[in-house]
Amino acid sequence: MIPIPKKGTPEREAMIREHRECVDSMKGVAGFSVLKCQDAGDTTVVTGGVHENPDLRRVLLRMRGESPKGKLVVICTKVDAEWRIGRLSGIRGVPPEFVDDKVYTCEQEIQHAIFLRRLDELPETAGMPEHFQEGWKHRDDNWPVT
Amino acid sequence: MIHGDTNPRGPGFIEKPVAADANGTYQGRKQIIHGGSYGYVEDRPQFHVESFTLQCHIWPTTPKTHPRYWKHGAQGLLTKWMDGKGYGLFINEEGFVELRINEHRITTGVPIRDHAWHFVAASFDAQTGEVVLYHEPQIVYALDPVIEPVRTTIKTQIVHTEAPVALAAYVETIGEDPLGKSSLPAGVWFTGKYNGKIDSPRIVKKALSRFEIEQMKGGAQPGLTERRNSGPTGELSALIVAAWDFWDGISTIVAKDNGPYRLDATLVNCPTRALTGYNWAGENFDWKYAKKEYGAIHFHDDDVDDARWEADVEWMVPEQIKSRSYALKLTTADGDEDYIPFWIVPKIGKEQSKIAVMIPTISYMAYANEHVACNAGGAELFVYRVPIMQHQNMFLAEHREYGGSIYDTHTDGSGICLSSRLRPILSIRPKYDHFLAQAPWQYPADLHLIYWLETMGYEYDVITDEDVTYDGLARLENYNVIITGSHPEHNSGAQLDALHNYTQRGGRLMYMGADAWYWVHSYHPAYDTVGRGVVTEMRRCESGIRTWRAEPGEYYHQGTGELGGMWRFRGRSLYSVAGVGMTNEGFDISTYYSRTPDSLDPRVSWAFEGISYEEPIGNFGLVGGGCAGLELDIVDVTLGSPPHTLAVATSAGRHTEAYLLVMEDFGFNQQGLDGTVHPRVRGDVAFHETPNGGGCFAFSSIAFCGSLPWNEGRNNVSTLVKNVLDRFSADGPLPPAPAEAIKHRGRADYESPALAATA
Repeated sequence: MIPIPKKGTPEREAMIREHRECVDSMKGVAGFSVLKCQDAGDTTVVTGGVHENPDLRRVLLRMRGESPKGKLVVICTKVDAEWRIGRLSGIRGVPPEFVDDKVYTCEQEIQHAIFLRRLDELPETAGMPEHFQEGWKHRDDNWPVT
Repeated sequence: MIHGDTNPRGPGFIEKPVAADANGTYQGRKQIIHGGSYGYVEDRPQFHVESFTLQCHIWPTTPKTHPRYWKHGAQGLLTKWMDGKGYGLFINEEGFVELRINEHRITTGVPIRDHAWHFVAASFDAQTGEVVLYHEPQIVYALDPVIEPVRTTIKTQIVHTEAPVALAAYVETIGEDPLGKSSLPAGVWFTGKYNGKIDSPRIVKKALSRFEIEQMKGGAQPGLTERRNSGPTGELSALIVAAWDFWDGISTIVAKDNGPYRLDATLVNCPTRALTGYNWAGENFDWKYAKKEYGAIHFHDDDVDDARWEADVEWMVPEQIKSRSYALKLTTADGDEDYIPFWIVPKIGKEQSKIAVMIPTISYMAYANEHVACNAGGAELFVYRVPIMQHQNMFLAEHREYGGSIYDTHTDGSGICLSSRLRPILSIRPKYDHFLAQAPWQYPADLHLIYWLETMGYEYDVITDEDVTYDGLARLENYNVIITGSHPEHNSGAQLDALHNYTQRGGRLMYMGADAWYWVHSYHPAYDTVGRGVVTEMRRCESGIRTWRAEPGEYYHQGTGELGGMWRFRGRSLYSVAGVGMTNEGFDISTYYSRTPDSLDPRVSWAFEGISYEEPIGNFGLVGGGCAGLELDIVDVTLGSPPHTLAVATSAGRHTEAYLLVMEDFGFNQQGLDGTVHPRVRGDVAFHETPNGGGCFAFSSIAFCGSLPWNEGRNNVSTLVKNVLDRFSADGPLPPAPAEAIKHRGRADYESPALAATA
């Protein structure tokens, strides 16, 4: 695993820039991927993003595999109009809570906001021995298991 | 109900009002769901014991819950206790075994290991006041402390009430509150719903010795002696109050008492049966052949088989009304809104059209009240973005009494394998985007097709999965063509039989989606007295993409006793029904199809009238921006596609890394399973003829119908579908294939270009 790039490093800024461009190109699509539409909002030809940036791809996958306890999620508060960021409780029957008051009017833009938050929240050593905790033995990660 | 998609790039939400007697203003009222499964036996004098022994095996899943857990608190195991009166075995709030006698509480003070079998028992001798409480783990590890029986003395006489005996719960109160009407029995409020398995519960009216308790594990044995008494011994037969054998009557919703008083328990909210008991030996996987090893019932605090609400509105459907997709629209003065969908189906013999749309209601029920985005943050690992929860999901996240979907795990983490329609189902709604697609899914996605049929001016009937399941071929044979929904993934065997009989006799099938004919579903026979298709069941076994997996020994359905899992592993290939089978899925964005040389074959070139060979087919749409996406099927004649199947268009090489090959299509762990490298990660549009002038056209993508409404139906996906539907809906057999098309074809045996080059 590569370290989660630290704040201020060129690697991190490059990831953020690439993610930003992908998000902008996906606006209007009823779906989403960290890829760049050749023509904004049109998925006929897609390039860049996770297909051409392996480090970005790996960091995104690790973010997605974090435990549901405290994981960020998107909540649509007005159908096809408004969205907010929530945090999962990890406790059955306890619904997600909003993390702040910010309302997003674009369902793709909020994906970028969550990406930035996670870069801040994940330690550099996420998933490595330095990050070991008891939950590793109790299937406390989020990778679907059958 | 015409169009349920609010996407601003499409036609938007469309409904048409219908004049109906039921239209009007009604007084609203509150009704609640008494969720969670339990068993109960009405109060009887035999339960009014002075002394007793209670015993059972338990396999708790959540002995101790988080203080914020939705049902945090004590859990009832085997109780006849209410409000400080009576007696019963419990797991207390700390997660310890506890005996209650009136207001007295005796506990081991020891945690119960979750997901493990334990034997628990308690005895009370009213004469001496002696109490003994046993907690015996079935497996004791090297560093486990010894759990000694707890012995104490209390001075009391059991105060008896009218409270029923409860299994996996206890009675909170009995009253006249209107909200109690929807409980069973009405007016009795049960609480402390237990999460986990219980096996072999017993009530005996004497304080038994440990040896007698061991004997009593055997329960009532009417065939044991020539005197045919009820007990493991003559002495015990005179003492048994109740000895439930959960292995008896697995396909029912009754827990059989084989003791002398026949105190059968009613099982409420359909707990899970056909599950391995404390004594499962691992040699028989089919409960029908090893019943006594399947004496466990798994109770869950979020089970629901019937909300038991009273109806406020009824509508007698007029004889002269079109068979179509409808919904009852509910509004309030405050601006709240809800829709309750339903379908009006013609009687057999009174079909209104030549075309029938087969609404995949079994699949709708499989996804009913789905919680995956909230329960499993891992949902994000297969949608390749942060999931978006709608207000329905937010409501359900808190109201677990509405139950989950068969894609979910229960609140205790075990897989959900039963789904009832007698509850509010918030996911079968228009204006509902699913987190998987970030677009409509199942019901609202199928409305893309309904919109297209309406816009194009077709007359069509609507039928449902349960109609086909219960009526068989008769439900299909008077139509020229059957059109599926976008994702008829879950099916009964009878439904597959009907489709095969139909296409064998010249019927035509248009498969408008993907990932169909995948999972074995059956209707639970115990609910056939209530209606058709009330409770559906499936098990997720050793293969198939799945969010949970049944434990070994738990693959067979409790209702019908059939083997669950994938149809493929029942020997019924999913490729055999419509010519294609699901190989891959990805939920980020969709792409388009291109024609192949097969599309030039005179057998099928009629389908591409008005579509040039070069133009991209469906590089637009309301689902992911293309018609080939979400879940995709391919042609594979080695897996059951008829050898003469034509693959007329494909999306090969265009899918993202979010698209992955299904696990049943590869054996060894390997790299390169995604859309950027694997050749089977694609969708194939396919056509094949069936005998007697029939045929199948498969469009092989869940996103496909999302392209139909694009530009109000003026697009090349619409052209393709129109060409097929016009041909398939015509009377009489399809025009025969050219004579030269009649020839022998192999499966794996075919003339490979790679070999031809070396000849």
